[in-house]
Amino acid sequence: MNQIEKEHRDPKLTLSQRRRIKSAIIHIVLLALSFVFLFPFVWMLSTALKTPAELLRGIEVLLPEDPQWRNFYTAVTTVPFLMYLKNSLILVFFAVMGTLFSATLSAYAFAKLRWPGRDTLFVVMLATMMIPAQVILIPSYILYAQIGWLGTRLPLIVPYFFGGGAAFYIFLLRQFFKGIPRELTESAIVDGAGHFKIFFYIMLPLTKPALLTVSLLVFMFVWNDYFGPLIYLSNPDHWTLALGLRGFQTQFTGRYDLMMAAAILVMAPTIVLFFIAQKHFIEGITFTGIKG
Amino acid sequence: MAKNKQNKNSLGALRKQEKKLGYVFASPWLLGLGIFGAFPILASLYLSFTRYRMVGTPAWIGLANYRALFFNDSIFWTSLYNTLYHVFLSVPLGLIVGILLALLLNTRIRGIGIYRTLFYLPNVVSIVAMSLLWLWLFQPNFGLINQVLSPVYNLLDMEPLGWYRASNLSKLTIVLMGLWTAGGSMIIYLAQMQDIPRDYYEAAEIDGANGFQQTIKITLPLMTPSIFFNFIMGIILGFQVFAVAYIMTQGGPGRSTYYYGYYLFDKMINDNNMGQASAMAWVLLVVTLIITLLALTLNKYVFYLGEQD
Repeated sequence: MNQIEKEHRDPKLTLSQRRRIKSAIIHIVLLALSFVFLFPFVWMLSTALKTPAELLRGIEVLLPEDPQWRNFYTAVTTVPFLMYLKNSLILVFFAVMGTLFSATLSAYAFAKLRWPGRDTLFVVMLATMMIPAQVILIPSYILYAQIGWLGTRLPLIVPYFFGGGAAFYIFLLRQFFKGIPRELTESAIVDGAGHFKIFFYIMLPLTKPALLTVSLLVFMFVWNDYFGPLIYLSNPDHWTLALGLRGFQTQFTGRYDLMMAAAILVMAPTIVLFFIAQKHFIEGITFTGIKG
Repeated sequence: MAKNKQNKNSLGALRKQEKKLGYVFASPWLLGLGIFGAFPILASLYLSFTRYRMVGTPAWIGLANYRALFFNDSIFWTSLYNTLYHVFLSVPLGLIVGILLALLLNTRIRGIGIYRTLFYLPNVVSIVAMSLLWLWLFQPNFGLINQVLSPVYNLLDMEPLGWYRASNLSKLTIVLMGLWTAGGSMIIYLAQMQDIPRDYYEAAEIDGANGFQQTIKITLPLMTPSIFFNFIMGIILGFQVFAVAYIMTQGGPGRSTYYYGYYLFDKMINDNNMGQASAMAWVLLVVTLIITLLALTLNKYVFYLGEQD
């Protein structure tokens, strides 16, 4: 870090030599680690392009002689892939809408309004993040059964409009709202604007990046979620990609070529999205640990 | 606060309005807290003292569910043991790998952003895709990992490891697979490391501390908040481990990956034994709470030490 002070300890090496050696070592270690972390992805793609015979030859075949691009086609056509995609998108859409609705409103209440019980409820909200899902799950399941929601998508949609699973997003948005200068809201109040106006015309436009971060995190969670759909989506016509992929596994035992092709298709959107918007992701995720 | 007091007169009326509006704005979440939070938590406590199988009404049976689990159910203990095994292995290993990755990346060399992105990447893969991928990688006969290790097996003259197909290795296999996502906690550590004032290191440098000493005496102590966060979340999520086993091993071989969450799932979905499932959920909640509280005291101690140095 502080090369100038360090240098006097080893007079044989110049400053730039020391720096170069140090960064070369770090690069080598990091490259080796990146290889370990990324090779599973490479292997996945390689597997997806193999013939069943090549599967058994394992590592001898890194680049399949005749890449089986058909495997992707087979994976998509032997199961109702487009229907799963549609179902995933439906859940993602409502979850994002619901979370944005409930989380922005309550984040505003926590950040900019003074009301009795606010600070206590804020602590309660943070505490809800610690509660194991199973404690909530059973009575909710019974409740949904009683009101006839089992077998529908509603248990995976409605709670989002009531801040279900949104504690972290509320927390995140609250910090962003707090960052909006008071002068801005107060001058709006002097101009006769109410809090709803301030919320819609000042807060939301000024915190677009945070709203995007929340949307992306919700997208990721719902797209990848397995447990919720497993419990509630008993109707195969409602299955999401995550459930479909699991069904694929039971249907094509041992056909890892097809399984990997399907898995790649399921994870591709999240990876692309991550690369496009990684700044937002990393900001949002970082936020959890540091400010939490 | 101070600002608001200054403007007391002009904003006085609005503040009265704020009291009501606060509840209005928070109402979706407040309703949710009641319907999807407080009610289920209390209801599951109540259910845990009843016999209820989704038909009729719950019948009060006192502590019978808990007694049955604790004294009459060896599977309960097996699943708890498997889960504790998982937590005690996965949480420390996850912390170590995450911290090491972050320390490596906390240097000022080119391309750090790219490495950070690459190490994080496995975290955006869905649990199902990830489980299928590692099922293939750990596949004992044709999987990549055993093929790469085959020279080692030959050298040591041993049988290839069975990984998830061997009851003594299956839990470890799942833990190792989980390390692939250590980049998630790495990101959090890294952000906190970069918040540490540079003067601390400069002062240490002048006092003659080398890089290793700086890491031990400055970086790690000042990272304790995020270490604590990842520690707690690791424990809470570790106790809920389920999907990976459900997809990869179906709890086997020989119940070796039949985790607590798996047993609870079976009790609930397959047996419809809502009373016992609720009792299990509450035992989980209490265990999680106790461990979290224990961890809390630990964290204070570590951070305190850091400040003393």
